[in-house]
Amino acid sequence: MSFTPLPPVPEEFRVLSMMHNIGAITPERSLSPDELAMWTGIEVATVKDCLQRLRELGYVEQIEVSGVEKYHVTKVGIMKVLTLYS
Amino acid sequence: MKVAMITWEYPPRIVGGIARHCEGLAKALSNIGHEVHVFTLDFPGAPNYEEKQSIKIYRTRSEVGHPNFLTWVLLFNHFIEKRVASVSQTVNFDVLHVHDWLMAPSSIALKHFTKKPLVFTAHSTEHGRSGLHIPDSFTIDGVEWWATYEANRVIVTSGAMKGEVCGHFQLPDKKVEVIPNAIDLGKYQGAVDRWAVRSRFGIQPHEKLILCIGRLVPQKGIEYLLHAVPILARRRPETKFIIVGDGWYRDHLEWVANTTGQRWRITFTGFVSDADLVALTKSADVLVVPSVYEPFGIVALEGMAAEVPVVASQVGGLTEFIEHDRTGVLVYPRNPESIAWGVEYILSNPDHARWLAQNAAEVVQKTYGWEAIAKRTSRVYEEVIAEAMKK
Repeated sequence: MSFTPLPPVPEEFRVLSMMHNIGAITPERSLSPDELAMWTGIEVATVKDCLQRLRELGYVEQIEVSGVEKYHVTKVGIMKVLTLYS
Repeated sequence: MKVAMITWEYPPRIVGGIARHCEGLAKALSNIGHEVHVFTLDFPGAPNYEEKQSIKIYRTRSEVGHPNFLTWVLLFNHFIEKRVASVSQTVNFDVLHVHDWLMAPSSIALKHFTKKPLVFTAHSTEHGRSGLHIPDSFTIDGVEWWATYEANRVIVTSGAMKGEVCGHFQLPDKKVEVIPNAIDLGKYQGAVDRWAVRSRFGIQPHEKLILCIGRLVPQKGIEYLLHAVPILARRRPETKFIIVGDGWYRDHLEWVANTTGQRWRITFTGFVSDADLVALTKSADVLVVPSVYEPFGIVALEGMAAEVPVVASQVGGLTEFIEHDRTGVLVYPRNPESIAWGVEYILSNPDHARWLAQNAAEVVQKTYGWEAIAKRTSRVYEEVIAEAMKK
């Protein structure tokens, strides 16, 4: 039986990992899509798409700070990220 | 003895086996009279310092981050190093014990700073986990080698891992000690309402629950179990499959599940609570551990403790505590037909399956409790301290 080669790490998972590694893991350390795009070097539109999917999956949470949408990794999101390295 | 245990994972920061291993070992070392200080990373909601069952736990926040994983690791090592160094001004540690490569850079520096012996537990290797295929992997492999070189003693959890680290890092045999993993035996002794648990997870009374628990990553071999589902469905139409855990490979595994034509039989639960993990394990008809790389395989040990028949790949540490057809069933790795055979063998021979499960539980009770493992670890500490004094 043949199996497909390993797929690449999904884009939203890469964004999630980078959010974790730059420390956006609590509400007070949340970052906006623009800030995340600057930190990660990924297009803002792509970051927004990824955040939408990550939010649906419960891996990131959105809060509003002075009218700006900001995001941080949830506890489940942290555990998901760590599976990559553990 | 005053022990500084340094680990990037410690509850509630739990992913794989390392957090549970460190917690079990810390508790058991404390129970036999050692003063244990655990240094780890922060986790939302967990205090930056607490004492739990006499264990002093220091959680440290990395003040600077970086999207690149390796850069982030090196940065948090600096903050851990600073924290341990600060505590060591008032606590005269006898030994430093680091778990896995992630905290190795700080631990190596601390070994030289405190002039105390360093013990390194290699829970797995980058070479074994994912092969050396990208620049980061080579760096991680290099850090692992560095840790084994600097450590006064290396602990591994199985003979298979000893062979791997001695061969790959060219270590002398006497530097590497095999001390198996252990589990909290009390966790599996309480009763659960098996039928209520099964019903909650969608298993009907006439159905057979085939359970698989693990991080959803390639080395756990879950796709081979998924490919075994249609084979089993033909032979045992009453089988249902629950996959517990999460990981970066989940999307791919769900795609594989969709291609089996039997998707309705398969449930991915994601992460579940500790209580549900125990309840599900105790309620399963078979626990399958289809790993392709497994330095130890604590999930199988937990299944054995819960008296659930275990079907596991014949790889790594699994072959050292599962005796084929006496305490479990070993099957060929990467082989769906073999996995299906193992599961069917258990389901078709219920009396024999019960006998296997009882034998397995006895072995776990006798050999894999934390107290025995803590005493063996303690002896390693005594040896490295005595050797360091001679120098």
